[in-house]
Amino acid sequence: MFKLLIKSVRSRLLPVSLVIITLMASMVLLLSIERIQKATETGFNQSISGVDAIIGPRSSSLELVLYTVFHLGRPTNNITMKTIDDIRQRKDIEYLVPIALGDSHRGFRVIATEQDYFKYIKYSSDKSLSFSAGQAFNDISGTVIGADVAKKLNYQVGTKIHISHGSSQTVAKKHDDFSFEVTGVLEKTGTPIDQAVFVDLKGYELIHLGWQSGTKIFNLKQLDFSTLSQEELTPKTVTAAFVGLKSKLTLFRFAADVKKYPNEAISAVIPGIALSELWSMVGIVDQGFELLSWIIIIISLIAMVSLIISSIDNRKREMTIYRANGATPMYLSTLVILEAVFIGLTAIIGAIIFVTLVTYLATEQLNLILGITPEFDWISWDEAKIFAIILIAGILSSLVPAIIVFKKNLHHTLS
Amino acid sequence: MILTTKDLRYTYQNGKIIHFPDIELDVGKKVLIVGYSGSGKTTLLNLIAGALKLQKGEITLAGKKYAALSSSQLDKIRADNIGYIFQTLNLIPFLSVMENIELGVRFSKNRRSNVSDLTQEIVRLLTSLGLSKKVLDTSVNQLSIGQQQRVAVARALLGQPALVLADEPTSALDRESANNFLNELSSTFDTSKQALLMVSHDLSLAPYFDQVIDITNKNV
Repeated sequence: MFKLLIKSVRSRLLPVSLVIITLMASMVLLLSIERIQKATETGFNQSISGVDAIIGPRSSSLELVLYTVFHLGRPTNNITMKTIDDIRQRKDIEYLVPIALGDSHRGFRVIATEQDYFKYIKYSSDKSLSFSAGQAFNDISGTVIGADVAKKLNYQVGTKIHISHGSSQTVAKKHDDFSFEVTGVLEKTGTPIDQAVFVDLKGYELIHLGWQSGTKIFNLKQLDFSTLSQEELTPKTVTAAFVGLKSKLTLFRFAADVKKYPNEAISAVIPGIALSELWSMVGIVDQGFELLSWIIIIISLIAMVSLIISSIDNRKREMTIYRANGATPMYLSTLVILEAVFIGLTAIIGAIIFVTLVTYLATEQLNLILGITPEFDWISWDEAKIFAIILIAGILSSLVPAIIVFKKNLHHTLS
Repeated sequence: MILTTKDLRYTYQNGKIIHFPDIELDVGKKVLIVGYSGSGKTTLLNLIAGALKLQKGEITLAGKKYAALSSSQLDKIRADNIGYIFQTLNLIPFLSVMENIELGVRFSKNRRSNVSDLTQEIVRLLTSLGLSKKVLDTSVNQLSIGQQQRVAVARALLGQPALVLADEPTSALDRESANNFLNELSSTFDTSKQALLMVSHDLSLAPYFDQVIDITNKNV
């Protein structure tokens, strides 16, 4: 029966192929949206771990998370180091790591921070950062680079680099009067950390000593660094600070206290809540796409049934010969149902291949745009359920032409 | 007796009634039923093939009375006992010569059991019908009308069905081709196991048959 089915389908290759392609395209659309959305969500959620709150200037909580964790957008305001020091005194805090953003190196975001960053900041459900080479910086001229930075720029421990003033989106001017030396390369994390260059906060402050309002006033080479006091090298402001609390139970109280901080308009953002806001916003668009995909799948199934019904008429002679040679109506109906199964399965296999290809390309894009490297399953359980629904719907819809074939009397076509 | 029909009548949707002559067909016999176009020749074959529902009268094939059979039993009777040569060629264009002929035994275990080596038997049938075994894997679309007719006959004869029904198989052939065709059919036909019932409007084919029945006059 399968041999007859294949030969029959091959004789109607073009219309059958078109139905398979339509069905496949709709599945690819549906699954790609699902996969990319889930992968992005997972990738985002795994990008920061162990951080209970992010302290920053009072603004949109989502915006703060996006530029501090995902390096998307630019900070519009800073908070003073005094505020940071005040909060650091709180007894409920386990750690506080300030970060300063704004500069870049050959398109990669520079994060000025303290050594504690490498100790406390985690990723992907509590994994600690580790070094594939070297170690964390221990003086102002040291820098640690992410795995992608090292790979793309072919940097290693000992490489000397210059930092540019401003982010890659702006016309950057180089801090070419002071070079940083790579002291460590981080292991790949699949998060935006891979695409970051980390420098010491004091070093960051140092290279900005000769700058005022984005303009270089004097060359650092004219300075004798030994004459600089620790206070001069301590930054006056930072962009934000990552905070870990001793107990999660105190999180909301901590956030409320920070909001009430009297000397500066700051807020403490809980990353998980901010990301939930993001997913609920993105979710509306996703639902729209998903609905559209299901509509396309239904249309494709209708097209498949139409194809089979119209082909029954064209295949009158074929069916008659089978019947005249002893094929039962049940045999022919089964042949019709098998054709629907064949179309459905071929479309599903094609969809899996294409979705894999799409998600592979999406991984590259997500890595390029968001710095996250999501991992995709070959076929997830949810996807298998979607395939099963489509296949069952295809079989059920093929019952219509199958019944038509079953009821067709042999004498109507025998001549 | 392989086939007997008794007092067969058929009423068309337009009210036209045909009363068919009684037929008794034994193994080895070849019967020609003649009649003008529209006289009910194909209807008679369809009734015998079980493709049309029996309205009045009696048909007995291989000892089974049609009136007592369900439609699935009729399907089995047809598959096991009848080889059908259509008026039009009715070969499946996307199948090869071999695959088209093989259809003759595909749906009947009984007919398949009569063939020990399928390829060998198909080659034998084709050779006796004047076709080379080289055409086995050829698409039927590449054959001439005459060659296609022979393929259709080979399919009807494969597995030695007890009754071969032929519906004007020579209508598309010229006189010489028709004579050749009937000679080949007669030589391939197994007189020890099979019977042939053919309908045609052409009375000149009568010499090839043991018996001729005029469907309109019910004359024998």
